[in-house]
This record gives sequence, C-alpha cells and structure tokens, in this order.
Amino acid sequence: MEIVVCIKQVPDVPTVRMDRERMTIIREGVESVINPLDYIALEAALELRQKAGGHVCIITMGPVQSEVALREALAVGADQAILLTDPDFAGADTLATSHVLARAIQKIEPFPDLILCGMQTTDSDTGHVGPQIAEELGLPQVCGVNEIHREGKFLVVKRLSDGFVDTVKVTLPTLLTVTKGLCPVRDLPLGALEAAFSTKDVLEWNMTDLDLKKEEVGFAGSATQVRRLRTPPPRGSGDIIEGPPDVLVGHLLRRLEALSILDEEDEKK
Amino acid sequence: MRLEPTMKQAVIRRSVRKFSERRLIAAAVEMDKTEQFPWDIAEEMAGLQYFGLEIPATYGGAGLDSVSTAIVIEEISKANAAMGLCISVHNGVAASPVYLFGNAEQHRRFLNPLAQGKKIGTFCLTEPNAGSDASALETNAIRDGGDYILNGNKVFVTNGGISGINLIFAKTRADGKDLGFSVFIVESEREGLEKGPIEDLMGMRGNPVCPLSLRDCRIPLENRLGDEGGGLKIALSTLGGGRLGIAAQALGIAQASLDASIKYAKERRQFGKAICDFGAIQDLLAEVGTRIEASRLLTHRACDLREKGKKYTMESAMAKVYASEIAVEATRVGVQIHGGYGYTKAYPIERFYRDAKVCEIYEGTSEIQRVVIARELLKG
Repeated sequence: MEIVVCIKQVPDVPTVRMDRERMTIIREGVESVINPLDYIALEAALELRQKAGGHVCIITMGPVQSEVALREALAVGADQAILLTDPDFAGADTLATSHVLARAIQKIEPFPDLILCGMQTTDSDTGHVGPQIAEELGLPQVCGVNEIHREGKFLVVKRLSDGFVDTVKVTLPTLLTVTKGLCPVRDLPLGALEAAFSTKDVLEWNMTDLDLKKEEVGFAGSATQVRRLRTPPPRGSGDIIEGPPDVLVGHLLRRLEALSILDEEDEKK
Repeated sequence: MRLEPTMKQAVIRRSVRKFSERRLIAAAVEMDKTEQFPWDIAEEMAGLQYFGLEIPATYGGAGLDSVSTAIVIEEISKANAAMGLCISVHNGVAASPVYLFGNAEQHRRFLNPLAQGKKIGTFCLTEPNAGSDASALETNAIRDGGDYILNGNKVFVTNGGISGINLIFAKTRADGKDLGFSVFIVESEREGLEKGPIEDLMGMRGNPVCPLSLRDCRIPLENRLGDEGGGLKIALSTLGGGRLGIAAQALGIAQASLDASIKYAKERRQFGKAICDFGAIQDLLAEVGTRIEASRLLTHRACDLREKGKKYTMESAMAKVYASEIAVEATRVGVQIHGGYGYTKAYPIERFYRDAKVCEIYEGTSEIQRVVIARELLKG
C-alpha cells in the first residue's frame, strides 16, 4: 500500500502565543515539533506498511526549517520525505495550504492508495486541511478516525461521533484524518535519529516543481484573512464549599435560586 | 565555531527528555529508596541504543557524535542521576576503550553485547591503595604460558553489581620483569573473580557500586585489551572521554536542581508574594543559571575537540571540574531556596545534593583535574 502522510510543525508549548500585529503565531524562541495527531498518522501508516507492504512518504509545507520534522519522521521509519517550500507559500490559509499539498500528492508516483493527516493541529485547530485536500483530489474522506482495518480492496475505519461509534467502509484511494487512540507513539532509537540526519535525503519541491502560480499560493491564494484576535475570558476557578451534606444542599439551593436556574416546577419536587 | 546545537542534537535532546521524563523520574525515587537497579527500564534503554551511544551501527550502537552523547547523558542524569552514571560509565570508560583498542575478535565477543546493552561494563582502576595515584596499583597479572593469572582487589566499581564485562587494570609481569600495566577484559562469570557487597552510598544509590576481587583468576591472552604494558595509554585516552561523561552528568544534576528551584520559587509565597520576586533569591538563581550555561559550553567545546580528533585533555578536565563544582553549588543553593522543605525527602532536591557530591570525586577528583589543567597550561 502506498501511503502519503501530511505533517505540520507546531510550537512545542502548552499554550500558543500570538503576535497581535501580524495576526500570526509566535514561533521565535519556541521549539517546533511534529503536530501530535500527525505523529499518530505517521505511526498508523507504518503499522499499515508493516501489514500490507508498500511505502510511506511524508510531506510538509513550510519554511526550510521544517526539514527537521521530516527528518524526525524518517527516523520514525518513513521511506521518503518531501519538503514543499517556497518564499511565496508564506501567509497561506488552510485552503492555500491544502492546494499546495494536493498538488504535491498528484506529483508523487505512483498516486497513493491512502493519504493520512492528523485531524487537527495544536496551533490553529481548524481541521480543514485534510478534508480540503480530499475535495481537491476528488477522493472519499473520513475524518476523526481512531481505528483502521484492511478488508480486501477496502478500508474499514471507525470514528467517534457524538458518543456513537461510526463504522465506515471506504474504497481506495482515500483520505483519512486520524485522532487519538489510533495507535501508540513509540520512543525513537538514537541510531535511527542519527541516521535520519546524517545519511537520509529530504527532497525539496518549490512552486516551479509543482507548476503552481503565485496567485494560487500563500497569502495571495488564501480565501480567508484573520481580522481580529482575542483571548476568550478565563474560566473562573469555581467556589469550593465545605461542610456536612445538609448544610451543603441548603447552600447549593440558595445559590441556584439566586441565579434563577430553578423554576417553580423543580422547587415543588 | 558553532555554539548552537544542530537540528539533530536538538531532536535527540527532546527525544531523550521525553523518554526520561516518562520512565526515569519516578524510577529515581525508587532507586534511591530501595537501591535496586531497574532492569526492565535498562532493557528498554538498550532497545533505544542508550548503551552504545558513540559505537557505530555495525556493532549495534547509535553512532552518535560526542556532543550528542553529552546531551543524552545530561538529559538522563537530569531525570535520574544514578541511571545517568550507569550510562556514562558504561559508554565512556567500558564500551569506548573496547571499541578503540579491541581487535576484531574482541569486538565480536565483547563490543557487540556492550553496545547492545546485553552486558553492562565497568572500568576497574581504583584500588584500596591506588586512586588518584594510579602508579601505586597492586593488582598484578603474571604471564603463565598463554594465559595471565590475575590477583588483586578493586574498589568503588561503578556498575559493579550489574556488570557482565569488566576492564581490569593490572601490573603485568613476566619472568620476574615488570612490564608496566595492561588492561584485561574479565567476564563477571569467570572463575576467580568475585564481587563484594554493594556499598552503602551517600548518593547515586540506585547504581550498585561494589568491590571486585581477583584470586588466581586465569585470563587467556585473547582477553588482553591492547598491547602488553599499554594500560597507561588506554587509561589516559579513556579518562578524557570519561571526564566528559561526568561533566555531562553533573550538568544534568545542576539543571534539574535549577529547574526545581525555579518552580519552587515561583510557587512558594512569603510576605504576600512569590519568593522568586525577592532579589536575594533572584541572585542565587542568576548565578547558578549563568554557571550552568558556562559549564555546558565548556563541555560541548571539549566534546567538539574530541569529535574532531584533536587533543582535549585540558578542556575535558576544565569541563569536569567546573561542571561538577557547579552541580554541588546548584544543589546546595537549591536546598537553600527550598528552605525547610528542601531538607526533607518530600522534594527531590535533597537527593540531587547527595547525588552531586560524588561528581567532584570520581573519574579524577577536582584536585587532580586542576593538576592536569595546570600541567597543560604550564607546558607552553
């Protein structure tokens, strides 16, 4: 099975900081890592390759520094890594990003049986990129997958939706976005890291290689713009009330009454 | 000259840190309390090639450069100094000399299991009456046909209780003639080698340090590492690398201590504010932080020289003495910042303090390091 995994580098911080003037994420001075769900997608691809054979190719769009994420993916076990980089790709929204990724996937030979993406990223959290790639390539897609089985020419995948488990049988080629629980992330042997940085190659494709025009990519090719950024008000820590149960119940009732949450019907009961 | 870690080194640091935080921090508390070496964790580490850091892939090692090796040892020691010690000694003064001075057959028999973590290694130089003064060695190896007969006592053998392969330094004699000292690879199961009881140590308690004795221990010629009488050359070349391991280890302990002190100083409130808002505490943190950064640069610079095949005797001694002394200072200050709580076992800082001290002693005391540095400075 030929598999392409799309990955993104994200800042390795619990909370992303924003540059309010430029409306972008502050990446300076913050170490970047492979987006955690993309890492799961990569591990899932390697598991499938182990069962079904084939190759795993990793692609990312980003500045030249993104090469480090690709090399880490090679250390994890990917066969090939392609960096999609061009100064004109800067400022891309999810649509322009998906467009570049889709074009690169079309250029990969043979055309993959399966494209895997993380369901969303920890920095922008939109969940757009996977579905948009599938749309552009005219492929079936299943999002939020946490189980994958191969059944002949099909994949049978499971996803959680509103508390139910959906089981979907999908034809190949297809695109899946994956989420937590699909497979574990392993620790890396040091020798694999050493080899990924010293002996493996990362291919680089720019706008010309992908036969793209300026107006299709980056800021110019974006359909959306960030107009305003604001931080949601912090959630209060809540009040902790202590005491014996009867006192607590009385206290709670008075508080709920004061907030007009209880209606007369409830009070009668 | 490059002062920033490479992309690869940054990823290696992150990868080792992730593993260490998940597997080694909790184990450090247990090891200190029970003095038990966690074989299950060691096995996992063997699978991740922590036992063959600089050994080429052909022997099952990771083939890392010297700076990466220092980074690995620093990160392990930051989480678990006793495990950092095991890895540092195994790699720096056991696997490394077998690689550098061993022949093809010795590589097959001894380097493969060392690099793959199937056997843990020791370096046995110190004796009851010989430490800093290595020329006072009393262990002797007398030629007997194609074999050597070894007799003597070794003390404070790091990894002693868990070792499978031991490098023994002994004075070689044949036909009554003194031939200088040589190194012998002695398997733990070999008849005539006996391990003594585990030392009850102040720190690094999860690492089973013990004495080894040799009583008419017959060693075949094939187990002699390097030339007969070539022990001094092996010792000198090995100790340079060993010192870098200890510097990296000390650095890890110092950094762990600074991180813990910063966290505590931000949380602990007195007089209505966090104690990190007081100038006195800030002075302590600033001083320690600066010196840790300086030790890291010294250590990586010495590693870089080693990597390039240049002489690094003085630089490794400087890195070792400076990093080990800052480790003791950082942990002392750390306990001070933690106040009364720092003196309890509720916080790890008291363990860091106990673990740090030995860095000023083993692999050449601070005093001996200064002798080495001064000798190099005065050479010109």
